[in-house]
Amino acid sequence: MRTGTRPSTRRLPLRDDGARTAVMTGASAELDLDAVVAPFRGLDPGLCLSIESADGTPIVSTSLAAPDADAVTREIPGGALSGGRIRVWGAASGAGIGPAVAESLAAALAAAPVTDLAIAAQQAADARRLEEELAHGRRLQRSFVSLIPPAVPGYDIAAHYEAAREVGGDFFDLFRLRKRGRPLSVVVADVTGKGIAAALLMAFVRPLLHAAIDHTTGPARALERTNKILVEERRSSLFITALAGELDLPTGHLSLANAGHEPPLIVRADRSPPTWLEGAGPLVGGFARLDVPEISVHLEPGDLALLYTDGITDARAPSGERFDEWRLLESLEASRGGTARDVITALADTVCAFQEPAAPADDITIVAIRRLPSA
Amino acid sequence: MSMETTVEQIDGAVPVTILALDGELDASNFRELIDTVKGLYDEGTRQLIIDLAGLRFMASSGLVALHSIVQIMHGEEPLDPEGGWQALHSLGGEPQTEVRLAGPQPAVDRVLKRTGLDRMFVVHADRYTAIDAATAPA
Repeated sequence: MRTGTRPSTRRLPLRDDGARTAVMTGASAELDLDAVVAPFRGLDPGLCLSIESADGTPIVSTSLAAPDADAVTREIPGGALSGGRIRVWGAASGAGIGPAVAESLAAALAAAPVTDLAIAAQQAADARRLEEELAHGRRLQRSFVSLIPPAVPGYDIAAHYEAAREVGGDFFDLFRLRKRGRPLSVVVADVTGKGIAAALLMAFVRPLLHAAIDHTTGPARALERTNKILVEERRSSLFITALAGELDLPTGHLSLANAGHEPPLIVRADRSPPTWLEGAGPLVGGFARLDVPEISVHLEPGDLALLYTDGITDARAPSGERFDEWRLLESLEASRGGTARDVITALADTVCAFQEPAAPADDITIVAIRRLPSA
Repeated sequence: MSMETTVEQIDGAVPVTILALDGELDASNFRELIDTVKGLYDEGTRQLIIDLAGLRFMASSGLVALHSIVQIMHGEEPLDPEGGWQALHSLGGEPQTEVRLAGPQPAVDRVLKRTGLDRMFVVHADRYTAIDAATAPA
């Protein structure tokens, strides 16, 4: 996006024949001859003006007294006036330009490509509108992601979602399945890439995955089905990494399927070091078949499962250092005794402080599920 | 947050271009990498080895770049609405061989494995084994 292009002219040294030349800058591709000629009106009507493109191709040559009307629609070689030259000289008399005229002429040349000024104003307006649209998109995206987890007796659940300045494609979902026992479904996913395309794909995939999970026998099948739909119906170079799980509430049995995503961390109540639950297939949308293995873990009372996106581990300090997994473990060690909300807040704050003063470059999503110690 | 690219050309019966990446590949520069490969393809490169030995970090945007690079080397426009998935479908079970990866560091290798992108590429230990494989008579 081009913003803040400040058009200006650069004056060239005086030529021997007394002509004055200015180099045009700016991005306009259309010649508004009236606007170009306007600053020279009121000088000597005997003056002539010519414009040539950056590569020296003549575009127009006309007298100031009777500007060539056809020139307005003339095509600009190379598509832009930038780098082209405006030349003004006293051809009618054949004489050079007198000092008084020369001074006004220099001032007029400095203001010459007013056409670019108008375009710069338009660009600024466009940029403002785009910025507003993006902010609107971020609000909408935020509205897809309810931060209030469903009430689940016996469990302490918290979630955190923080959008990057440039809209990203993180999302998560926590909901009770319709099937018997109403198990809890948890999804954390990340659309690769950034911007509107990633946000749109996220908005497309989230309900798709939700429906697939609610209508298949397990998370691995749900990811497989979502992948099939995406590969057959969508064509782009964007992918989704996704971690989908199903938690049987009475037993604490958590079955998971991981399509190219950061593995979940399991923090045991017994204060043993947290461990990653490995086992994954490729990311969603890249291959005809996923063949994601279904993995499982048993959450004992007090145990905590942490699901997150790469916005945590890839977070970058101004020094260039990455947050990395060891800082994640360090934060967890310090906060593991707290509530799910405490654990998440501590981690999000640490990542935020690590990046300061820069704003987060990537979305950050964290979901923590703790099985409460038996009453 | 920067990455340097170095291009080397090996002439022979099978000409090979080596593109060495140095630094970090992420959202700030993955589009430039795609453009670089587009340029190489336009100049005639048909066998490409991406030397990852100097790449310390690869974010998920890097995966988008690698996917687009495979498409370009298949002679397709990346993100072509009609051709987007043909590159992957035509792969079947076998990885393509127009683009080879060489010498990934553990951090990058882990991302390739975790995301399954290693299915798309033959990953060689270093550039020399990659060159041998690329220039070996079929």
